[in-house]
Amino acid sequence: MPLGAAYDCRDDETLLAGALREGRYLRYGCRHGGCGSCRILLVEGDVEQSGSSFALPASDRADGWVLACASVPVEDCVVDVSATDLTEEEFLAGDQVRGYTAEIAGIRRLTPDVRGVRLRLLDPPSMRFTAGQFVNVEVPGTSVRRAYSMANPPSDSGYADLVVRLLPGGAFSALLDGRLVPGDQLRLYGPFGQLKVRLSHRPMIMVAGGSGLAPILSMVGDLADRRNTRQVTVFFGARSATDLYHLDRLRALQDRMPCLEIVSVLSEHAPADQAGETGLVTDVIGRRFPRLEGYDAYLCGPPSMIDAAAALLTARGLRPRNIYFDAFVPTG
Amino acid sequence: MAKNLVALHNKAKSYDWQFTVGDQSPKYPTRYTIPATGKDPFRMLIRDYVKMEAEKDDRTHGFLDGVLRMGIAEEIQPRFMECMKLTLPDLTNAEFQAVSAAGGLIASVQNQELRQGYQAQMMDEIRHTQLEMSLRDYYVKHWRDPAGWDIAQKALYQHPGGLVSIGLFQNFNTGDPIDCIVNLNICVETAFTNILLVATPQVAVANGDHALATTFLSIQSDEARHMANGYGSIMAVLEDENNVPALNRALERHFWHSHKALDALVGWQAEYGATVRPWSYYDQWQEWVVDDFVGSFIDRLTEFGVRPPERLAKAAEDVRWSHHTVGLALAAMWPLNFWRSDAMRPADFEWFENHYPGWHDAYGGFWEAYLQMAHPSSGRLMLQELPALPPFCQVCQLPCVLPRLDLNEFRLVEWHGSKYAVCSEGCEWVFRNWPEAHAGRKQFWERYHGWDLADVILDLGYVRPDGRTLIGQPTLDLERLWTIEDIRAIGYEVKNPLAGL
Repeated sequence: MPLGAAYDCRDDETLLAGALREGRYLRYGCRHGGCGSCRILLVEGDVEQSGSSFALPASDRADGWVLACASVPVEDCVVDVSATDLTEEEFLAGDQVRGYTAEIAGIRRLTPDVRGVRLRLLDPPSMRFTAGQFVNVEVPGTSVRRAYSMANPPSDSGYADLVVRLLPGGAFSALLDGRLVPGDQLRLYGPFGQLKVRLSHRPMIMVAGGSGLAPILSMVGDLADRRNTRQVTVFFGARSATDLYHLDRLRALQDRMPCLEIVSVLSEHAPADQAGETGLVTDVIGRRFPRLEGYDAYLCGPPSMIDAAAALLTARGLRPRNIYFDAFVPTG
Repeated sequence: MAKNLVALHNKAKSYDWQFTVGDQSPKYPTRYTIPATGKDPFRMLIRDYVKMEAEKDDRTHGFLDGVLRMGIAEEIQPRFMECMKLTLPDLTNAEFQAVSAAGGLIASVQNQELRQGYQAQMMDEIRHTQLEMSLRDYYVKHWRDPAGWDIAQKALYQHPGGLVSIGLFQNFNTGDPIDCIVNLNICVETAFTNILLVATPQVAVANGDHALATTFLSIQSDEARHMANGYGSIMAVLEDENNVPALNRALERHFWHSHKALDALVGWQAEYGATVRPWSYYDQWQEWVVDDFVGSFIDRLTEFGVRPPERLAKAAEDVRWSHHTVGLALAAMWPLNFWRSDAMRPADFEWFENHYPGWHDAYGGFWEAYLQMAHPSSGRLMLQELPALPPFCQVCQLPCVLPRLDLNEFRLVEWHGSKYAVCSEGCEWVFRNWPEAHAGRKQFWERYHGWDLADVILDLGYVRPDGRTLIGQPTLDLERLWTIEDIRAIGYEVKNPLAGL
């Protein structure tokens, strides 16, 4: 049903910014055209667009899709927000995204270039989020924010467990070289994102690459909390054994949820005692699942991995609409 | 709405009063607590609403005028039109039951905001009934074989297919009003009518029937409001967590029953009542029922304690086969239909096998034999090839051979000294929990036990104006049609499979 609501955008103001300024709410995430959370359909009117071509491919743009955070209207517009599953109540309620003050509870070296950062929420002391969502972490002393998915399940609501890939010169990740230590406080904003486990009867395939394991862990943890009985197969892809992490958590989840199978996949050589598979993740999935009709799939990781996995899955019969993904696009 | 209209609308809602000229007692009590105020799902003034609906009616009737002038009835694929002789009156029954349902809700639910929505729904359902009757008027006057259209509503209620319709749609207006909302607004209108009223128009257009597509899309434009009624009502009820267990039971019951009745009918119409099939029913079901209804609508309610249907996976698996089996059953009983059936042929076999691997093994042999018996000179009926007639389920009224003959889940349930046939674990659960709602329904074969088939057809009135040629025929292309004499010469006696049990 049409919401029947209207709002104004100022000159050079994006569709998202105008809505938020007027006390309305449209779904958003990164706010710089990188995550696709704010993808909506332009029904009438015209906008000037920017934003990542992965978050919004050219074919989608040709069909009228725009990113609200990266689209400035040049005339009156009508937009269809139904693809974001936005209810009228949510639209009228305005931006419920909150700021949190958190304290670094621990920083773990998970792999040579991945750190686990556990944040204890102080004010407010807990966050209500959906497994699969992310937060924007403010780089201390700046207005720069970086997005990281929660690796903990929603039941662990007093914390935000982040998985941070170290990027050369990364605005936030570089601070994990010792400049940020346990006890330091950070500001977080969120939760954001529409990646979540969809309610259905279908068995699930989850594919994680690199730091993409974080939302997968959160979702699997949440499924275990809910005593899920749908079959879940998690493929965790990495280059070598030293790039795998949180295996202990995954094994603990298997103990709690017998219908969970974890398959680690190494693209380079594996030690003789390495359980799991070698090769590309897509090759392994292809070997194990000749047909994938009637499955749901969740993909998290580098865009190239998602592209390859999505192509294989649809070729094996999985419906494109039942492939859900969160592409981890480095912002530096 | 402009602010002055908002104020006016709110003022209109305040015109509630306790009158003494009539009994305001609801027809059925409720076990739920319902708050006196809540969110208004309607939010229109009646004068604006009727203008909007009048315009929709004008467009639909104008289109009927156009198709009449353009002779579009001649373009309709016969298979589609013949199967519609069952489907459309079935739907009209639903609309009419919903009129009564909405009226009952206005009386039962003491919440003025929600009543606004029910009032609009009642008017919508009347409009839908009338739209469908206009469409049927067009068909009976312009379809090349009107036999069946002329008696459709009465014929429906006597036919096993009609008993399916009655069995489901009486739940719209019989019983706890909140349970009625769960059936009507939540299960039927939010979960299943999307396939019927949005996706099936694609089948209609692909098979030449633009009139039906236009009518259904006009009907569907109101369904969003009915879904909002359902959502608003459920959200009101969910304000009291004590309501949650009853709500979950009602959802389980009515989801299962709606799935049985509607998937059988709409799946059959979409795939067996079609020469051109733009999609498979199984795929549409995944999108509309699983992804949209469960994955979006129900998901939103889970934080309040609402659970998705436990039998969702079972229903999804059944959808792969049930409507094929229903198509087989309806074809086997073609003399007892008030429309012409048609044989599935090799081109159909190929489509079915591509979309439902294993179809040919399960159904191909039946259709090959069916075609061989199609001409009256064969002197044989598929009914004679069956070891016995299938009993109809006491709950959903579908034949107890589902989802597939070799996978059927028939069982007998005993209650108060009598035995009842049910088709599945789900229907058994419904029967055991609500036996009074289902035990009284008569079985079709029980009524005609011991009758010659020819006399059954005459009793049903399913003969053409000459009094001897059957309305039902096994294929669409017969020049020599079956007559009562042909049937009587075969000497088939109806035997109730439950007799003596």
